[in-house]
Amino acid sequence: MEENVISFKATVNGLILIMREEDDFETVLEHVEKKLESSGRFFKGASLAVKYRGRKLSTAQAQQIAELLTQKTNAEIKSFEEDFSLPEKEPEEVEKGWEKPKMRLMFFKGLEEGLTRFYRGTVRSGQLVSYEGNLVIIGDVNPGGEVIATGNVIVMGSLRGMVHAGADGNKEAVVAALNLQPTQLRIADVITRSPDTKEARQALIPELATVKGDLVYIERFLPQYKG
Amino acid sequence: MGEVIVVTSGKGGVGKTTTTANIGTGLALAGKKVVLIDTDIGLRNLDVVMGLENRIVYDLVDVVEGFCRVKQALIKDKRYEGLYLLPAAQTRDKTAVNPQQMMKLCQELKEEYDYIIVDCPAGIEQGFKNAIAGADRAIVVTTPEVSAVRDADRIIGLLEANELRNPKLLVNRLRVDMVKRGDMMTIDDIIDILAIGLIGVVPDDEKIIVSTNRGEPAINDDKSLAGQAYRNIVKRIMGEEVPFTNFDEDSGFIFKLKKLFGLQAN
Repeated sequence: MEENVISFKATVNGLILIMREEDDFETVLEHVEKKLESSGRFFKGASLAVKYRGRKLSTAQAQQIAELLTQKTNAEIKSFEEDFSLPEKEPEEVEKGWEKPKMRLMFFKGLEEGLTRFYRGTVRSGQLVSYEGNLVIIGDVNPGGEVIATGNVIVMGSLRGMVHAGADGNKEAVVAALNLQPTQLRIADVITRSPDTKEARQALIPELATVKGDLVYIERFLPQYKG
Repeated sequence: MGEVIVVTSGKGGVGKTTTTANIGTGLALAGKKVVLIDTDIGLRNLDVVMGLENRIVYDLVDVVEGFCRVKQALIKDKRYEGLYLLPAAQTRDKTAVNPQQMMKLCQELKEEYDYIIVDCPAGIEQGFKNAIAGADRAIVVTTPEVSAVRDADRIIGLLEANELRNPKLLVNRLRVDMVKRGDMMTIDDIIDILAIGLIGVVPDDEKIIVSTNRGEPAINDDKSLAGQAYRNIVKRIMGEEVPFTNFDEDSGFIFKLKKLFGLQAN
């Protein structure tokens, strides 16, 4: 015999009898009886409002089940009617957007060796690329684009947007780019912006930004030869 | 108690942001305390036009989500006393803010500032609804083009439906030479259709492009025609009666200017 022909569900307002649409009334009745025989005593003396759903019942059929319920459970069945309320939805897994990493005590420590995301392509205005770890952008970051990582950020191209390394508070994090011209550069809780006077650069000068104390230092990281 | 003015247009690219920046700067130059709010979330521009892009730390979405206080998000423009910018978020979209939140924010800012100028995004969707939510007055920007005027008409209808009566019209990018040749709609043509009060006419001016690229509002430029027009508009916003510069006739401002440079022979 099948198991799931009927089931009872307790709610705040009482009991719900859930039936399957495809079963005929006799089968349902049989299963209700069986179920109540095994667990009906549980309700003894209680006062219940019962609703049913999943299948239409005629008035006579509804009455039949109601009588059966009273008989088998010794409970007072206050009402027996169809449940029109929508089935309760399982709380949906809300897809969480990427949250700004909170400054925390235990920040990401894999700066030397650790989780790294490689992003290929241009980060354009309005795009946000982020990672809980190190982040390598193989491409440019345009003004208005944002790159946020809890570890280091390396941009294999021009960095002209906003960059935040060590976003959860790690001041050891660094930012490096082949062309470092960010609108704003943040490492942990230190924020700097590029000078207002714009210098027109011809060649790409790879540079590295680090924090010492509360100041951001920017330096070339390739050995410089004088031509 | 301050006043919230929304700058809107319906159509994109007619000069809402430029207008917001210039009016805001003009009001600040007149000694008022002004906040500019960019509500174009996801396509923010006002910060760029104001030259304050690299100072953004918190934005409008951070404020309404309670991530920071309003004061923290306001960027003080160091060049103009009393001018502040509340930038939009760039990596979010219009649904990140709702009209109730905007209304609350405008109420809060009104307590302390004389003017709150809201830069509205193009379109009539959520962003528009957010922008007009807390507004007391509206300025509708249009250009002398049929499409822009059509959109302005739609916007005026929507503003009136939202209890924003008496919006003022700002005609932007008027080209006097084209109007004279009969190739461009005249101010009268536009007012005929829209039937609202005019607050100013801004002539087409190359200097605007230079100034927006540099992040310095043109209103500060004494030589700019558009800057002059904006200065008049600011005075009108503050309730002064300023006669309209007549671009159509030869006795007008442009003529004098041209005469000054010997461009016209008569």
